[in-house]
Amino acid sequence: MIKFTNVSLIYPNSQQTVIEDLTFIVAEGELVLVMGSTGIGKSSLLRLINGLVPHHTGGILAGDISVNGISTQSVKPGGLAHLIGIVGQNPLNGFVTDTVEEELAFGMETLNLPPDVMRKRVEEILDLLSLAQLRNRSLATLSGGEQQRVAIGSALVMHPKVLVLDEPTSALDPVAAEEVLSILHRLVHDLGLTVIVSEHKLERVIQFADRIIHIQGGGQTQIGTPETIFASSALAPPIIHLARAMNVSEIPLSVRQMRRLTEPIRKHLSEITPDVVHTVDKAKIVVKVDRMSISYGAKEAIADTSLTICAGEIVAVMGRNGAGKSSLLRAIVGATSPSKGAVSIVGKDPFSLHGKERTELVGFIPQEPSDLLYGQSVREECSQADADNHVASGETFALIQTLVPGISQNTHPRDLSEGQRLSLALSVVLSAQPQLLVLDEPTRGLDYTAKVSLISILKEIAHAHDRAVIIATHDVELVAELASRVIFIAEGEIVADGTTMDVLLSSPAFAPQVAKVMSPSPWLTVKDVLTAMRNNP
Amino acid sequence: MNKSLHPLVWWIWAGSLATAVAMTSSIPLAFGVVGAAGFIVRRKAEKAPWAKSFAWSIKVGTWVIVIRVLTGVLIGVPIPGRTLFTLPIIPLPDWMAGIRIGGPVTFERLSSTAHDGILIAAIIGLLGAAASLSSPHRLLRSMPVMVYEFGVTIVIATSILPQFVTSVSRIKEAQRLRGHESRGLASWRRIALPLFEDSLSRSLDLAAAMDSRGYGYSRKRSKYRNDHWTTRDYALCAFALLVFLRPEYLLIIVALSPLVLAP
Repeated sequence: MIKFTNVSLIYPNSQQTVIEDLTFIVAEGELVLVMGSTGIGKSSLLRLINGLVPHHTGGILAGDISVNGISTQSVKPGGLAHLIGIVGQNPLNGFVTDTVEEELAFGMETLNLPPDVMRKRVEEILDLLSLAQLRNRSLATLSGGEQQRVAIGSALVMHPKVLVLDEPTSALDPVAAEEVLSILHRLVHDLGLTVIVSEHKLERVIQFADRIIHIQGGGQTQIGTPETIFASSALAPPIIHLARAMNVSEIPLSVRQMRRLTEPIRKHLSEITPDVVHTVDKAKIVVKVDRMSISYGAKEAIADTSLTICAGEIVAVMGRNGAGKSSLLRAIVGATSPSKGAVSIVGKDPFSLHGKERTELVGFIPQEPSDLLYGQSVREECSQADADNHVASGETFALIQTLVPGISQNTHPRDLSEGQRLSLALSVVLSAQPQLLVLDEPTRGLDYTAKVSLISILKEIAHAHDRAVIIATHDVELVAELASRVIFIAEGEIVADGTTMDVLLSSPAFAPQVAKVMSPSPWLTVKDVLTAMRNNP
Repeated sequence: MNKSLHPLVWWIWAGSLATAVAMTSSIPLAFGVVGAAGFIVRRKAEKAPWAKSFAWSIKVGTWVIVIRVLTGVLIGVPIPGRTLFTLPIIPLPDWMAGIRIGGPVTFERLSSTAHDGILIAAIIGLLGAAASLSSPHRLLRSMPVMVYEFGVTIVIATSILPQFVTSVSRIKEAQRLRGHESRGLASWRRIALPLFEDSLSRSLDLAAAMDSRGYGYSRKRSKYRNDHWTTRDYALCAFALLVFLRPEYLLIIVALSPLVLAP
């Protein structure tokens, strides 16, 4: 179906080839996963398939790509619209119309299909993706999972042979992600659709993939079945790391398979209970939320919530898309003033803080870290932070070098990779040494390596410097590794608040992979299990 | 479900009201009509990004009045009448005879400039109301195909503009939380850079999405749902045009007519 012959790609003004001499064939009805670190060229590879690269972005392409026998060099992306459906990283950015139904029809209108065909197909897709109740809704009011489903639907409605998705679940909570992935699975099996998907959260997708294209950087690519790729790849989900550590005979791709393989080991470990790693001294209260409500118009985002967070705690705030996580965070950092009740950070009202007093009390990393940055280079950004926070010149840059070694002072912040940009924003905020650090979904688009360094930084801030950290995220694996306490929000109310272990294990959807494998024993991370195995041979 | 009005109807309604306001040139009526239009927007506008257009147009209108009055008072031909106060006259070169900056400000001059300003603001406000009440995308769709052909730019502009507004407040907030207060030129630079980057990448995303969905590839374009003119559409249009018969009596009634005629 898709044929790459000796494909190389280089962007203008760049010395490095993104892809070098790549040859592969994807057969009809295959689900292929594209994986690799951030900024390594996954999106480029996906966009090569329908010719958006290089037709839309520029760049030099060598070799040939053909889809269903049509070479992408001879036609523009529009000419492949009936053949390839493509769903971008952020579906909201790609919506052209206002309502669900119109969005579904848009592509067919451009292809000049007769109205009766369009009517029929729209109904089909509404049913297939269970969007029927949403048909007249405005696209801007949909939740993340619903938007993703509409984007998939508006691609499918053209009856394409190939569906290309760029990180379809990165912004979704585990439940919505599950929903989207099971739809993809069904499409491949029922309709024989060929699906190419890129994803960072490998634990969510590997069990569905027939083959994996692993882009390793520097033009290196590896293609094979999940079993062969994960026999050696350093980039792997927790379940693979666990299997390697346990010396399991096969490479497990699903929790079920792993459980079958590890029965004796699990039995051996079942008598041991993990010891609590870090205890928090409850004496120093950093955040105090007292019977707070936040409402936007008639809608109540947070209802009558009380909460205390102490120094040394790392608190993860979890919950569905739109449950009120961001509202809670914004009130805590003082971006909004609560409609009722009060928030205080070390006794002060965060809404009234200004300038230096603010940065020393609370640091905030928004969902788009680049909102904070405006310098023309890393150097300019760092010296601005030095000046703002009255610290010695060069201190911020020293900080960022510990986070991401080898970063160049002259790089423009926009040219940094996602992980590097987050680190830059983090160093700018941390140079003021705030008592409280708040992060709103920092792991969108971060790969495992970047996540590991983020985890170690945040742990050091909380434990060595005795600060409080609050992090809102959908990433259960990150929470399992990082947080000491989890707050679960639903419909603007705190429905669970307890240690990471208690909260994560009590909900099957939000349990990390290791916990699912080791259930009913209460283990969360690969490291914990390994330590236990080493201590109890 | 009730079918909403044809988007063009709202523009015809607002257009006739605006023309009628200009014809009557009466200040109380101008205020009355804008008030009535505001009431209709409150009642009828859907919850959508473009629904804020009315509020924005009122802000723009207020600025128009302020600027019009200021320039009218400072520059221009003196109108004789009751002097309110006198500004110092700034001497101008001889070749600019007839134009004067400063001088005595009469009540008549003040009121005539304010009068013009209010009329212009009312017209802007009415057009803003129409923009609030009909989706720009749907309006574009009911245009002939030839117009639609250069639609990419318009689609992007109409989708990005509301985003622009939310991006500004998001970035401003992030900057405030970094401890930078937003005042002066320097703060504008801090906001502008992330903002342009944000808008540019959004526009590129949208253009790529439209491109890969075949936009502009086929010369002809079918319509999923023809925006048929219903009786109600015709009725409201006819009623809106009726205003020209006796604008001074009918203005407010026509302005409020969507309450009865629109679903």
